[in-house]
Amino acid sequence: MRRFLLSTAALIALTCATSAHAQTKIELQRFFGACDADYGKVTDVSKAVGECGIITSLVNKFEADNPDIDVNVTTVEWPGYDQLNAQLASGAAPDVVSMHYSAISDYQSRGLIDPVDDVLSAQGISPDSFTDAGRGGVTKEGQMFGLPFDNWTMLFHVNLNLMKQAGLVNADGTPILPKSADELFAQGKQFKEKTGKPYLIQIAANETASYARILYTLLQQQNADFFADPTKITLNTPEAKNAVELMKKIKDEGLSTLGLDYAAAVTAFTNGDGGIAVNGTWLIGDFVAQSEKDGTPLAKGYTVYPVPQLYPGRDSTYADGHSWVLPHKDRTPEQTQAIGKLFKFLADNDYEWARTGHLPAVKAVFDKAEFKALPHRENIAEIAETGRSLPGAVQRQFAIQDIIGEEVGAAVNGDKSIDEALGSAESRINDLLANI
Amino acid sequence: MAESYRRSQWSNGLFILPYLSVFIVLLVFPLFWGAWLSLHKVDLFGPGRFVGLGNYARVLADPVFLQALRNSIVFVLVSVPSLVVLGLFLALALNKTTRTTSFLRGLFFSSSVLSVTIVTLIWRFVFIPGDGLLAVISEQFGVQPVNFLSTSGWSLFSVGVATVWWCIGLPMMLFLAALQQIPNDLYEAAALDNASPWRVLKRVTLPSIARTIMLVTIIQIVMQFQLFGQAQLMTNGGPNGTSRPLVMYIYEVGFVRWDVGKAAAASEFLFLIILVAAMAQYVVSSRKSEASE
Repeated sequence: MRRFLLSTAALIALTCATSAHAQTKIELQRFFGACDADYGKVTDVSKAVGECGIITSLVNKFEADNPDIDVNVTTVEWPGYDQLNAQLASGAAPDVVSMHYSAISDYQSRGLIDPVDDVLSAQGISPDSFTDAGRGGVTKEGQMFGLPFDNWTMLFHVNLNLMKQAGLVNADGTPILPKSADELFAQGKQFKEKTGKPYLIQIAANETASYARILYTLLQQQNADFFADPTKITLNTPEAKNAVELMKKIKDEGLSTLGLDYAAAVTAFTNGDGGIAVNGTWLIGDFVAQSEKDGTPLAKGYTVYPVPQLYPGRDSTYADGHSWVLPHKDRTPEQTQAIGKLFKFLADNDYEWARTGHLPAVKAVFDKAEFKALPHRENIAEIAETGRSLPGAVQRQFAIQDIIGEEVGAAVNGDKSIDEALGSAESRINDLLANI
Repeated sequence: MAESYRRSQWSNGLFILPYLSVFIVLLVFPLFWGAWLSLHKVDLFGPGRFVGLGNYARVLADPVFLQALRNSIVFVLVSVPSLVVLGLFLALALNKTTRTTSFLRGLFFSSSVLSVTIVTLIWRFVFIPGDGLLAVISEQFGVQPVNFLSTSGWSLFSVGVATVWWCIGLPMMLFLAALQQIPNDLYEAAALDNASPWRVLKRVTLPSIARTIMLVTIIQIVMQFQLFGQAQLMTNGGPNGTSRPLVMYIYEVGFVRWDVGKAAAASEFLFLIILVAAMAQYVVSSRKSEASE
């Protein structure tokens, strides 16, 4: 009996030891949602749709291809930085984390994330292989602080079936979209009269980042340099007032849905409750999939375009992007190598990620025949030229986004005057930036 | 007394050591650390520099803090009486031992075991425009639906409704326990005197459970000042900050803006408010017991 127990114990110890040797563990923390019920076991990435499905199956495929590496995924509520801050403060940060380009400067300036140049060069990944927007998004003080994964913007997702009903479709089947603020209101009115539904579907409740993104876009289109000094915002300007007045008029004239949160706004578009959803690149894949199903309000009637140029200044859209960063911590050489392999895999499969609707961060993907064949990509290709982010040195961009969302939302809903809201946003943001 | 005192030994203190060490590590130490942080310009990731009372001045000059304080006070003033009155009403209605009342007690208490995420998810289905329950009902009646979660005033109200639904179980149970402590003789005497049910409630029931009413009120004041999850998940404090409670302000300043010193200063104000509420309970309960002696 004793011998049996001893040999069992020895066997268990041996199994543990070999498995510990055999597998290098990487803790990966990301947003993009949880969908294990649908994609938990899927390794054929081409079968996946949407951000969550594609990233889940990409990681599954990587694990299947690299049995010596165990990627332990933790999914956090978007954008997940509060949890990450708590983890960093308590010295329990994961190995790899998804991060927006706009958030990198916060962490880089405090030495909380490590440069990835060596990790990339060890895998033979050249910085030149990334697009300028991707590489620029993660580069601080001459070093890359993350693996660029994509670029994204807000877009006009169009329900062509309703646009046809509203008489807003050209002879070639493309939608008639506004080229100025006046046209926006005229077409919006026409749409509402003909269909009885709101022209735009906007996110207006709970998470209000969308207000900030649209404000940045409208300011850029007027050539307003509102962050000339990265430590100070200037919002008490005629350009900012014009932009918020436009946003308020859309609401006042009943051209937009009201009070929908993110999830409700997505559902409203797929239910055909409005003409144009103002939402991100990440939904293209999902909406295309919907439009391929017969009997749905989007059936054979979906297309997508950049947010139109409404001011004569220049064609511009606020853009950001996703990257993978390495929180500062001690790692074994095996772990660093495993992370390098993961980065190489993700960069090599950036086409799969681009199927979500995001613009790829890897240049070569643009030349791939499969990418060119993806639906609607030619409509939004110009974003590569017109997408603009805030200056890289601006810190706390997520906190700024929250403040702008709250204040602009208050002005749009009529809770505050436009001047009051812009003044309050400016002083709150400048107080925040002055106290970093 | 003197004998037992002489025989007591320091080593006996070891019995309370486990509790005491947890108490010190999780409550006393953070209390003083928080006060220390509030005097420093500091983020989450390293040492800061001493700024004296600067953070307190910044907090008091911040209109968003004052708005959050006002929101929290309004929330407590509305939700606590609702919880006390509804809890008492349910307890009185269910203070019988039949199968139905046992089932209903369990039913009313069941919401308390849910996590805040589930609670807010359920109420989001009720309040959200478009497909939400209230929106569908109002459309049936041809009434323009209210955007509960994104209209000033309504958003805090919606958070309050979800909170009362979630928290009603504990007051009800405490009142039930108190009601069952009332000696039956009092009711028999009242019945002999031909007292009306209203008079019985006013003269027998309520005076007998007065201390429980005070206890429930104080517990709920302390709990509702700490409102966070429901507001964060249902409205994110919006619109225009009209449903942002104090704890959410502290969270945003500390974790989203990394201004931990300022967040700690705001927490000290919250601590002060809750301390006053707890002291009020102490004063009221000790006065009551003196009066009865």
